[in-house]
Parts: sequence; C-alpha cells; structure tokens
Amino acid sequence: MIFRAVEDADLIARVRRSDIEAFNHLVSRWEKRVFNYLLRLTGNPDDSLDLSQDVFLKAYQNIRKLDDAARFGPWLFRIAHNEAYSLFRKRRPESDFEDAELIEREPARSVAPDLTIAVGAALDRLTPEQREAVVLKVYEGFKFDEIAEILGTPVSTIKSRLYTALDLLKTELAPSHSRGMR
Amino acid sequence: MSTCDRAEALRDYAFDELPAAEVRGMEQHIQTCEACAADLERLQMTTAALRSIPDREIPQRIAFVSDKVFAPSAAARFFSGFWNSSARLGFVSACVLGTALIVSAYRRTPPPAAEVRTVVETADVSKQVNEAVSKAVAQVRQEDARLTQATLKAAEAKHEREYLVLSEAVQVLQKQVNTNTLLASADVGPSGVVGQ
Repeated sequence: MIFRAVEDADLIARVRRSDIEAFNHLVSRWEKRVFNYLLRLTGNPDDSLDLSQDVFLKAYQNIRKLDDAARFGPWLFRIAHNEAYSLFRKRRPESDFEDAELIEREPARSVAPDLTIAVGAALDRLTPEQREAVVLKVYEGFKFDEIAEILGTPVSTIKSRLYTALDLLKTELAPSHSRGMR
Repeated sequence: MSTCDRAEALRDYAFDELPAAEVRGMEQHIQTCEACAADLERLQMTTAALRSIPDREIPQRIAFVSDKVFAPSAAARFFSGFWNSSARLGFVSACVLGTALIVSAYRRTPPPAAEVRTVVETADVSKQVNEAVSKAVAQVRQEDARLTQATLKAAEAKHEREYLVLSEAVQVLQKQVNTNTLLASADVGPSGVVGQ
C-alpha cells in the first residue's frame, strides 16, 4: 500500500507536468476499484461505467487542486461518491436518501448463488449510509480517517454506521456462512 | 454484540484500526475473554462472507485520456508548463512591466492647440447663442411696446367718441331747457297773469 501510494504520487507529479500517459497509468490502477465501488452503490453496471468515466474526467481536470498526492485514493473516491449522489438526486430529487434503496443485484459468477443472494439481500436491508460505510471499509479497505474524508463525515459517525451495519449483517448472514462457504 | 466493555476496541482491532500500543493488550484479552473471542469470530465470518463476492471486471476500459482528442497540443503543453513555472512567470511579468514603462515614457503628449481651439470654438458658440437670445428678447419687447401703444390709441379714440356723443346729448338737453324756459316766459305776462 505504501509503495502504491509512492507510485501514485510519482504518477500525479508527472500528470501535473501534462504527461497524459501517467494519467493513463493512474486510471488503469484505480478504474476497477472505482467501478466496483459505484456498482455496489448503484447496483447498475451501465450507470457505474458512465459514472466511472465522469469520475476520471473530473479527476484529470482537477488534479492540480489535489493538495496531498499521497491522498489520491480518498480524493478520487470522494469524487466518485459525489458523482453517485448527484445521479441519485437527479433520479429521485424528492428523496433525502434516508430510506434504504432496494437494488437488484446480479449474482456474481463463481460464487455459490445462495450466498451471493444472501449477501446482496443483507446489504440491501442496510441504509445507503450504512451500506456505503461497509463498502468503503470491508470491500475497499480504507482507513476510518480516509472514509471520513471521502464522505465528509466524522470518524465517530463512520464507526457507528459500520458497526451497526455489521451487527445487522451478522444476524442476516449467520445461517448462510456455513452454506455458501463450505 | 459482546457485553464486554472492550467490544468497541475489539472491532477496531478486527479492522486493524487499533493503535499499535494497544494491539498486544487486546490479543491477551481475547485469550481470556470468551465473549470477545466469540464476537471476533462472528465478525470475521461476516466480513469473510461479504468478501466472498469478488470484484467484477470493468466491462470496458476507461481510456478516454489516451485518446488524442484529449491530449494537449505541443503549444498547450508549452503554455501549461510555462504557467506552472513561477520563476518564468515572474521574469515575463518583469519584462511586461519594463516595456510598459518605456512605452509610457516615450509616448508623445497630445498637441495643446487642439484644446485651445476647442475652447475658442466653445466661446464663439456661446457668444452666438447669447446674441441670438438677446435679439429674440428685444424683438419680443418691441412687439409688446407696439401692442401696448396700439391698445392705448384705440382706448383714447373710444373715449373721444364717447365724449363727443355725450357732448351732443348735453347740447340737445340744453336746447330743450332753453326752449322750455322761453315758452314759460311767453305764457306769463308782465303783471304776472298766466294764460289770459
């Protein structure tokens, strides 16, 4: 992770000197993570791909505004978070996103279908804020302070959302642990 | 959720967020606290279940930046590099400032004759306007005087006519009075007998 941050910082320095290929490297390193993060938020591959394009375009246009190159990951995911919520607002302007959104998820290949469905259903029962905390911590592996930076929320709030979500998920997934992971 | 008062720290430990100084103490605690050990196991199983769903491959590579359309031209790269260099920018700013000073120093001053001429022209126009106004005022006064004179003459003529009419009326009355007086004296004799 440290080496990755160092390499990112080097690539960002090159991008700031108008080296397009350096930005291409950055895109290839982060595109899969950004796409999957957006897919877990939106549940729609087409929307996630379109949003990913927008995220990297905005990142390219604003990379000179990035103060600390070592924080590229949280900075990039903050753009992704903002883009996803802009889309939600466009689609449902009257919503305040407090109610859990039900997302239809396609089962992942190569995993027991019942476990995929169980995990998807359990995640869908969380509020969008809880789900995003789980995605950023469990799937993306960000530190609490990085998640706070991405969401613009205090660390204590992030921890509260995550741990409440994990209590719910433990209950939801308890019977399926043994089923799918056998 | 564990009832142990170190449940929160246990979760931080599970997510590798516990401060390094507290990690060893937590590991020793888990050895002795059955509730925390069980809670940790459930938490690890839950996260393992979540992580069992792998990331999807992106259906289409994001490659718009490598498209030549998005690539800046050589001139754009030069200017981009230029504006990002404070030293070069400072040098050029100094050059521009110096050039501006030289140009302003050698620039010809505008001829003063034009200003004088403008002032003179302005004075002439004012004089002409004043003369025209004075002339118009004199004409108006002259016309007023003429009208006043004519009105006075007409009034005098009217008064003269009325005087003549009144004089004639007075003369007629005087004649009637004289006639009546003569007739009366004729009717009364020298002895004072009337109508003999």
